[in-house]
Amino acid sequence: MAKPTLILVGADKGGVGKTTVARTLLDYFTAHHVPTRAFDSESPKGTLKRFHPDASDVVDATSVADQMRIIDTLSTTDSTVTVVDVRAGLLSPTLRALRDIGFLDAVKKGQITFIVFHILGSSIASLNEIEETAPFTADAKYFLVKNFINNTNFFEWDQATHTSYFKKLKDAVVLTIPKLNEMAYEQVELASVPFLTFVANKNPKGEPANYSFVLRGYVRHWLGNVWAEYDRVKLLDIFDTTSAAGPRAQAASSRS
Amino acid sequence: MPQQTQLYIVASQHPRVGKTLVSRLLLDFFRLSGRPLVGYDLDPREPTLAGYFPNLAWPVDIAETPGQMALFDRLIADNWRTTVIDLGYGLFEQFFAVMAEIGFEKEARRQLIEPIVLFITDSAPTTARSYAELQRRLPQTTFVPVHNEAASFMFMHRDFPPTRPEFGFIRIPRLSPVVRGVIDRPGFSFGAYMAKQPGGPTEVHTWIGNIFAEFRNLELQLLLGQVQSSLGGGRTTTARKMR
Repeated sequence: MAKPTLILVGADKGGVGKTTVARTLLDYFTAHHVPTRAFDSESPKGTLKRFHPDASDVVDATSVADQMRIIDTLSTTDSTVTVVDVRAGLLSPTLRALRDIGFLDAVKKGQITFIVFHILGSSIASLNEIEETAPFTADAKYFLVKNFINNTNFFEWDQATHTSYFKKLKDAVVLTIPKLNEMAYEQVELASVPFLTFVANKNPKGEPANYSFVLRGYVRHWLGNVWAEYDRVKLLDIFDTTSAAGPRAQAASSRS
Repeated sequence: MPQQTQLYIVASQHPRVGKTLVSRLLLDFFRLSGRPLVGYDLDPREPTLAGYFPNLAWPVDIAETPGQMALFDRLIADNWRTTVIDLGYGLFEQFFAVMAEIGFEKEARRQLIEPIVLFITDSAPTTARSYAELQRRLPQTTFVPVHNEAASFMFMHRDFPPTRPEFGFIRIPRLSPVVRGVIDRPGFSFGAYMAKQPGGPTEVHTWIGNIFAEFRNLELQLLLGQVQSSLGGGRTTTARKMR
């Protein structure tokens, strides 16, 4: 069995499309038949939970009770991967809490795979967050995500600042989430379904829906591009240690 | 074998090469056969085609997403009627970009819609290049070049290969300037004109007759292509996909 894996999706700032990234990850794991569970920290009305009703609510990943719900069950759950959508502003405190309970030590010893998706906004403030989180992510697989999903304008970073920050994180890998057509995005919001379900033209109950073919096409194309990014960084290989076979071959065999 | 419906896209990157003329001829040709038919005029600034066919051809602006939905969603749903699209040169790039991005070809195949690009050629070197590029981008679409003799003098066969060699190309002969005005009259219908020949066929009759014969021949070739691909033979796009 694969090592238990914890994925944190977070940002220190709200409104950078964090939940959207978490949704694409859940869709990606669904498509590859990776058993996944999700926690949503936007309590009480979780955005992630709206799209993925199976996701559990979590009040606060810095509270002990909720840490127990997530961390203590990592190795007992049937799910290989646990995705936690960390509420805006709580990424650094969460990382600190994980260090304090010895979680980061377990990662260091190789007992748990730890992946952090740090979603960056388009302002310079986002870069300061990288400095804050850097001390905690030494043993994590750390992804910096440039999220263009809901804005067209390019990041307002000048190249010098950009380079000086990214130099500090020698192991960080930069991912880019491209822009999605606004109407398509809005329709998926209204439908309250995972992106994959929207592409398949199904409603939340799995019944045939009547979404626009054009909008489904835009979502399919965009999701394909996002997944290509996950493929590029070999996301599945990070926690898949069971055999030398490729993750897709395993996904296929585990299905039968 | 299930019957496919044809979606004709009359396209060129250049203005004034006869896109609307070819679209009008197609619509009138199909109207004569009485089959279910619809046309779309993708020239929002100058919807000439819509003017000629008030209840048959509709103007659509695909610059924004709502217009794209109005058009492409309809095309997919309309798999029961022959469609003619007059693609204004200004939207040439965008139309094919959207078509490729939303995966239109694949869904069209599923709905038994056969997209056919009638590409109006000219002698500019860039035109041959963009024809080749478009064929590469849309591997499952049928391409047939159109040579409008009134718009360009030469037709270079090797620059504009059709998807299947037997499709050849569609030739729109040059019409004497004197009678050219006749067919450009508002509300002029090629079909209605063909129906009445009081003093025997005129130049316009012969001209329309020749073009309709070319259309008829193309239809036949398309049908043969379908038969061949359903039998598993022929170098059709369907065969390529199955391999």
